[in-house]
Amino acid sequence: MLTIDNLHVDVENKEVLKGINLNIPDNEVHTLFGPNGSGKSVLISTLMGYPEYKITQGEIIFNNQKINDLSIDERVKLGLGVSEQRPPTIKGVKLKNLIELLVPGILGDEVFKRNMIDHYDMSKFLERNINDGLSGGEMKKSELFLVLITKPEFLILDEPDSGVDPEHMIMIGSMINETLLKERCEPMVRNSGLIATHSAAILNYIHTDKAHVLLDGKIHCSGNPAIMMDQIRKNGYSYCIKCQNNLMEDQL
Amino acid sequence: MKTRTNTEISVKSVSSNDINMDLSIFNDIEEDQPKIDSIDELKEDEINSLQSVGINLNDNSEAGKFFMYGTSIFTFLPQIDGVEIIPLKKAFVIYPEIKDKYHFKAIDENQDEFTQTAFKKEQNGYFIRVRKNVIVNEPLHTALFMHREMSTMCIHNIVVLEEGAHLHLITGCTSGCTIKGGLHIAISEHFVGKGAKLINTMIHNWGTDFVVRPRTATIVDDDGTYISNYYSVKPPKHIQTDPFTHLSGKNASAKYMTVLASFPGTYCDIGGTVLMDGENSGAELVARAVNHGGQVIQTGLLIGAAKETRAHVDCSGLMLNDNGIIEAIPGLRAMHPDARMSHEAAIGRIDIGEVNYLQSKGLNEMQAIALIIRGFLDVGIEVEGLGSEMAEIINEIAELSGHGE
Ligand SMILES: Nc1ncnc2c1ncn2[C@@H]1O[C@H](COP(=O)(O)OP(=O)(O)O)[C@@H](O)[C@H]1O
Ligand SMILES: [Mg+2]
Repeated sequence: MLTIDNLHVDVENKEVLKGINLNIPDNEVHTLFGPNGSGKSVLISTLMGYPEYKITQGEIIFNNQKINDLSIDERVKLGLGVSEQRPPTIKGVKLKNLIELLVPGILGDEVFKRNMIDHYDMSKFLERNINDGLSGGEMKKSELFLVLITKPEFLILDEPDSGVDPEHMIMIGSMINETLLKERCEPMVRNSGLIATHSAAILNYIHTDKAHVLLDGKIHCSGNPAIMMDQIRKNGYSYCIKCQNNLMEDQL
Repeated sequence: MKTRTNTEISVKSVSSNDINMDLSIFNDIEEDQPKIDSIDELKEDEINSLQSVGINLNDNSEAGKFFMYGTSIFTFLPQIDGVEIIPLKKAFVIYPEIKDKYHFKAIDENQDEFTQTAFKKEQNGYFIRVRKNVIVNEPLHTALFMHREMSTMCIHNIVVLEEGAHLHLITGCTSGCTIKGGLHIAISEHFVGKGAKLINTMIHNWGTDFVVRPRTATIVDDDGTYISNYYSVKPPKHIQTDPFTHLSGKNASAKYMTVLASFPGTYCDIGGTVLMDGENSGAELVARAVNHGGQVIQTGLLIGAAKETRAHVDCSGLMLNDNGIIEAIPGLRAMHPDARMSHEAAIGRIDIGEVNYLQSKGLNEMQAIALIIRGFLDVGIEVEGLGSEMAEIINEIAELSGHGE
């Protein structure tokens, strides 16, 4: 579904991503681990097409189509959906105004929209300016809500668990699972996605199929999310550097 | 992208561009313009122009309506006891005492050439009076319509709210959309009694060669409230106005909101001056401009001259074009040690990060920009209880701006 091939990205003339390779097949959700500053957000912003991130080499292929040069909204039309780590606040623009534009008032959609607003207790945020004065958990919830109502085929989440208290975490976990659900009666068939997290807290609520560790702009190792999470919790990210070094020694 | 060369840049205030406008190109005020006998004679494009400034002549508003087409006047009488709408000249005949009491009593007739013209020629307009404790819930609409090319319209309006009265007045000023130019002079004097509340909403939509000179003054007594909303859908070639409010009573308050979009070849100098010499009175001035290449001056001067007066000025501008000018001059003058006053002013372009963010949620670039502009212009209208018509006007301004028209 999504293939990233030897991706190099410059931010402000400095290379931040240094040759990323990643393949996420249909029906799979992958975790992206990595310490602060390793390049997770840069990778996600590049996938979405933010103009300040310049691809100098490599390709992003989504559903057999190269998307390197598409605009942000063209990518969203193709089926990418993102929840950001630090979304901006926009003066005077209410969440309600954005939702109205995203889900126009067709009857069926209207019912769906109402149900979702009630179910996730969003009504109190509708009249407020987007992201303005929201707590960490509320902000993530609002981001996920916007993704949820537009039902993307491929879900990209940047640290959905940072700054979130346990109660909000349960809600956020359920919102993610709802968004990943394709057919209500076939829980085994899911939408695909990529979830970046440095704390891994969200993995207690969501099953992911594979994990990758990003360090200094490169994927250092990939494997079973639960095992890798365990290692990271015990040994920190240095375990991965060690394992990468061992790997290199093996190769020698 | 075009950038200015240094030699073009002048450090003089843009307000000195209030050049010697040649007003002789406009025809004199004539009493005998072609008149109409009924509003049924209005052409379709004229009806559309009126709608663009929020005026629909055919709905039956209980609060009444006043419509001035050139010099022809149509009034739709209010069905509420204690509310009067009368052409000013007629009002002077019915109530001779009001001339001494109100005519050029809030405004000095010698303020400038425009007030002098209106004074000398004894111009017509509306006289609106709401009697003691009468609360008018529905807005009262008035429309001032210019129907002849290069004509001069000069009007004089007087609004009196007696003690405890409430009124929301919506005035639309425009011309037929085929008409390019004219001179519009409007003298407005408002008298807000004790505990009374006047919301005065003015909506303008002009052709490219109009010159507009509103001259407005309001006197507010104890516990009275005056709210002035000014929306400019399309600015004229040149408008200069500095509505003055005198909060003479204790606990009186005034709030000005100005929302405008500016386009190349237009000049808008929109100010607001509030003198607070009533104890514990308060004033707020909020100005928003979206600039597509015209010249905009946002001024405001709030004067605290009594105990416990409070004032805040907020002028903000969005620059959407490399060639426009916005000059923000938020002014405060404290004349009493207990006056508390603050101001803010921010001018900049649209934040590209905000546009990208909205695109990442699924809007296209145009939709994202229009939504941001709408948010920028949306200055708490709901708070003031204005209806959906106002939301429409804001949408229209945002829409025009979004398309860079
Ligand atoms: N807009 C930017 N301008 C300059 N440097 C940036 C920008 N965005 C990210 N970086 C830098 O790129 C590196 C990776 O950052 P980021 O992707 O945010 O890390 P994280 O893995 O914590 O999400 C950091 O060194 C960061 O400072
Ligand atoms: Mg990050």
